[in-house]
Amino acid sequence: MSREGLTRRDVLKLAGVGGAVAAVLSGCGPMAKYVRRRPYVEQPEYALPGKSVYFATTCRECPAGCGLVVRTVEGRAIKVEGNPNHPLNRGSTCARAQAALQGLYNPDRARGPKVRGGKAITWEEGIDAVARALQDTPPEGIVFLLGLAPDHLAELVYEITQALGAPPPIRFGALAMVEARQTLAAAAEAVFGQKAVPTFDIAKADLVISFGANFLETWLSPVAYAKAYGAMRQGHPGRRGVFVQIEPRMSMTGANADLWLPAKPGTEGLVALALGRLMAEVAGVEAPEPFAQVDPAQVAQAAEVPLEKLEKVARYAVQDVERVVALPGGVVLGYENGVEVAQAILALNGLLERLGKPSLVYFTPPAGGREPLAPATYKELMDLVDRMNAGQVKALFIHGVNPVYEFPKVLGFEEALLKVPLVISFASFDDETVPYAHYHLPDHTFLESWGYQRVQVGADREVLSGFQPVVVPVFDTRATADVLLAAVQKVGGALAEQVPYKNEVEFIQKQVAEFQKRNDGIYQAAHPKVFWALFLQHGGWWTQEATATPAQAQVPTVQVGEAKFDRGELHLVVFPHPILADGASANNPWLQETPDPTTTVMWNTWVEVHPETAAQMGLENDDLVLIDSPYGAIFASVYVYPGIRPDTIAIPMGQGHTALGRWAKNRGANPIDLLGFGVNGAGDAAFGQVRVTVRKMGRRQVLARKENTVGVYGDGRYQPVDKRKEEEEKVTSTQE
Amino acid sequence: MAGEEHTKWVMVIDLDRCTGCNACVTACAMENNVAFAGEEENAYGRGMHWIRLVRYWEGEYPEVQMRTMPMMCQQCSNAPCEPVCPVFATLHSEAEELNIQVYNRCIGTRYCANNCPYIARTFNWFDYEWPEPMNYYLNPDVTVRRRGIMEKCTFCIQRIRRAQEEARLEGRPVRDGEVQPACAQACPTDAIVFGNWQDPHSKVRQLAESQRGFKFLEELGTEPKVIYLSSQRHEF
Repeated sequence: MSREGLTRRDVLKLAGVGGAVAAVLSGCGPMAKYVRRRPYVEQPEYALPGKSVYFATTCRECPAGCGLVVRTVEGRAIKVEGNPNHPLNRGSTCARAQAALQGLYNPDRARGPKVRGGKAITWEEGIDAVARALQDTPPEGIVFLLGLAPDHLAELVYEITQALGAPPPIRFGALAMVEARQTLAAAAEAVFGQKAVPTFDIAKADLVISFGANFLETWLSPVAYAKAYGAMRQGHPGRRGVFVQIEPRMSMTGANADLWLPAKPGTEGLVALALGRLMAEVAGVEAPEPFAQVDPAQVAQAAEVPLEKLEKVARYAVQDVERVVALPGGVVLGYENGVEVAQAILALNGLLERLGKPSLVYFTPPAGGREPLAPATYKELMDLVDRMNAGQVKALFIHGVNPVYEFPKVLGFEEALLKVPLVISFASFDDETVPYAHYHLPDHTFLESWGYQRVQVGADREVLSGFQPVVVPVFDTRATADVLLAAVQKVGGALAEQVPYKNEVEFIQKQVAEFQKRNDGIYQAAHPKVFWALFLQHGGWWTQEATATPAQAQVPTVQVGEAKFDRGELHLVVFPHPILADGASANNPWLQETPDPTTTVMWNTWVEVHPETAAQMGLENDDLVLIDSPYGAIFASVYVYPGIRPDTIAIPMGQGHTALGRWAKNRGANPIDLLGFGVNGAGDAAFGQVRVTVRKMGRRQVLARKENTVGVYGDGRYQPVDKRKEEEEKVTSTQE
Repeated sequence: MAGEEHTKWVMVIDLDRCTGCNACVTACAMENNVAFAGEEENAYGRGMHWIRLVRYWEGEYPEVQMRTMPMMCQQCSNAPCEPVCPVFATLHSEAEELNIQVYNRCIGTRYCANNCPYIARTFNWFDYEWPEPMNYYLNPDVTVRRRGIMEKCTFCIQRIRRAQEEARLEGRPVRDGEVQPACAQACPTDAIVFGNWQDPHSKVRQLAESQRGFKFLEELGTEPKVIYLSSQRHEF
C-alpha cells in the first residue's frame, strides 16, 4: 500500500476496532528512510502503550534553528521540549516553539493538493505540473521564492536551479526586512572583514550597549540570546552584566535594560559616534576619525538624550568594566543611511579593542564549511517584481514565505503575481498567497518533515541541526523536496543526471554523510547507517568544542549623515510581535492567547501612543484610530504606552491576516501595509523612514488584555470579529 | 523506599534573569491542556492562564521602567483557598506538601478564587473546545477540565509523579533537576528553577538562600513555596 494513499481513517478501518490500535512512526532506526504507518498489532519495540517516545528535531518557527525534543505518546505529538544538548538553545524554547503542535494539528491546514479554485487533484497530477514547469519553461523564467530558513530544501533547490541554468532561489521574509539582516552583514564586512551576520557574545559581557536590537524577542536567534542574557545577568558570581538599550520604542528587550535611552529616530548612529568620542576622552586617547567628527553635546541635544547619561555609560565602559559589546539591529538600521549607522555602532567594538578590551564578537562557522545562501535584499525583491511585471517570470515556486501577506503592499507583488502564468505554492496552510497559485501542493509542517539546517548565527561552533518526523503526516501533504525530486525524475535527461537523488531522505543522507569523516563531532561512527542513526538521535551534528574565534574589529571611516523621513506627524515603528513574530503561526490559538509581554494584549493589534501625545489628541486606551501613511491605512485600537517617544507610535506585526485559518483571519491589522520606502546602501528596505498621521474614529474597540479588564463592561463593549470588519468598511466607504 | 522520601517541592524564580518573554505561559498551557478561551472571554478577564506575567510600570518617561513577575499558584503551606472550599476539592497533600485541586469534587462555588491573594486560580466558565485534530496533542497525563470547574497550577504534578516512578523502577532517589515543570523547562534564561527543599544540596535550596530572595505577599502568612529573587538595576 502506498503511503500517500493512506489516511488515519484508513488505518482505523483496516484494524477494525480503534481501541488497541494507533498509528505509530518508525523513524529512528538506522534502516528507516520512510515514514510508515503501522498498527499496534505489529508494535515497534520502542513503542509501549503509555510510555512516551522522544524524537529530536529542529524548530522551524523562525530561521534560527533551535533543537527540540518532542514527546510523543502512541503516535501523537504531546509536547515540545528543548534539546538540552543543542548548542543554540541548550534545552530552552520560546513561546512559538511551544505552540508548534497547534500548527501541526491545526484544523485549518491544507489537507491535500489542489488547483486554483479549490478543486482537489492527485499528487501525480501535481508532480506532473511541476515536471512540465521545469521542462517547458525557459530556465531564466523559473524563479524559486523561499523562506529564510537556511535548510536542506534551499540547498536542493539551489542544485536544481544550477542544473537547469535557472537563477538561484530568492530567500526573503518580513522578519529579515525589519531586522535589516543584509544591512548588518554589509556593515560587518566593513568592520570585521566578513560579510555575514555576526554573533555578539553577550553571555560574557559586563556591559551590553544595544542599539535597537530586540535580541530577547525575535532577533536572529532569540533563545540563544536569551540564554546568554541570563548568564550575563546572574551567571558569573559577583559580576552582574549591565545592559543599555537605545531605541525609540521600549521593546520587551529594552524593558529589561538598566538604562533605556529613547534617542530621536535617525540619530542613533550619531549617538554611537558620540559615545565613542566620550569613551576615547575618558581613556585619554585621541578619538579615531569617525568619532572625532561629532560633538557629543550637540548630538545629545539633537537626539534628545541627556549628555550626562552618555558620559556615565562611556565612563562605565572604559573605567569600571572589562568586557563591553555594542550591537546594532532592527529599527535603528531602517533608514537610507542604515549601513553607515550599523558601521558606526559596530565601530564602537573596534574602539573598545583599541582601548585594550577583548572582542566579544564572533561569526558562527558554517557547518561543513558551506556558507548558506544569503537572504535576498529588498532591492533584489524589487527587481523580481519588475521581472514579473515584464512577463519574464514564467513559473514561480513559493515555499516557506507568504508574500501577499508579508511583503509591503507598495511593492506591488500581488499585481505582479497575476502576470505570472504559473504559480505553484507549497504552503502548509491556505494562506493569503494560495488563491494566486495555480497549483497548491502543500508541504508537511516541520514536525512531519525530514531535513537539516545549517545554523547561521548564535552558535559558537559548526551546527548542522537535523529534523526528523515526530509523527506520521496528519493530512495528505507531501514533502516539497520529494515533489521536486519526483518531478526532476519525470523530466529525466541531463537534469535527472545532475540531480540524481531518488528522494528527500537520500539527498539529506548524502549531505549528512560528509560529516562522518570529521573527528571533531560529538559522535563518530564507522558505518554510514549508524552515523545516520546517531544524527537523528542527537537531533543533528555539531563539534564537541567551540571553534568560533573572536573577530577583530576595525574602526572604519564612516559618514553617518542624516536620516531621511517622509512627511507626516509621527514616526512609525513597526516591530515583530514578541510572540507572533512575523505572523506565520498566527493561527496557533495559544500564540494568540499568550499575552504580549509589555502591553499584555492578546488576540489583536494595538497602536502604542505616548501618554502626552494621547492626551493632546484626546485619545484614551481602546480608542479606535485610523493610521494613515502615504502608502496605506489601517485601523487599530490605542494602547497608551509609557515607554515610547512622544513623536513616535508603534504597531506590532503578526496580525491582520485575511486567510490562514479561523484564529488568524480578519483579526487586527497588518502594519506592513503602511510601509513604503527607499533602500539603503546594502539594498535593504529603509522601513524606518515612514511617518504617519493618526485620526480618532470616535468609537472604542476594546483590546483583550491580561493586565485588567476595566472598560470592557460598559460603552466599550467587545466587538465580535465579523462586526468589526463591517464597521471598518462603513467608515472607509463614507470617507471615499 | 527510594523515590518516596519526604519531599517539599519549591520553585525559585530569578527576576533578574526573567525577561518577561512569556515562553512559560505557552509551555504551561501546552503541557497542562489549558484551554484557550478566545478574545472575547479574555477581554472579560476569563482567560485560563495558569501562569501569567504580572507587569508593572515604574517612573515617568523617559525614566520609565518595566518590571515583570511570573505569577502562578504559590502552593501556600497555609493556603487561604483551602478552608473555604465546602467540598474539599481544594486541599493540601501531606505527602508532597502541595496544594491540590480535585476536579471531580469541585462544584464551582469559586470561593477559593475569591480568597486567593495571588489571583492564581482560573475558572472554566464554559466548555472549551480543541477542534479535531487539535485535540491530538492533549497530554494524556492531565485531565481535561470541563465547564464549572476551578483549576490552577499544579507544579506539574504529573511530571513529579513520572520522575518518581522512574526513580523507583531504578531503585534510586529522584535526582536534583530531574523534575522540571513545563515553565522551568522552557524558560530561555533559566530564571525558573524547581527542586526539593529537603535536599540540602539541591539547586533550589542554594538559590533560595540568596540575599535577593523574597516571598510574594508573605506578610499575609500564606507561606508560599515560590521564592522570588529580586531584580537588580545599575543606576547610570
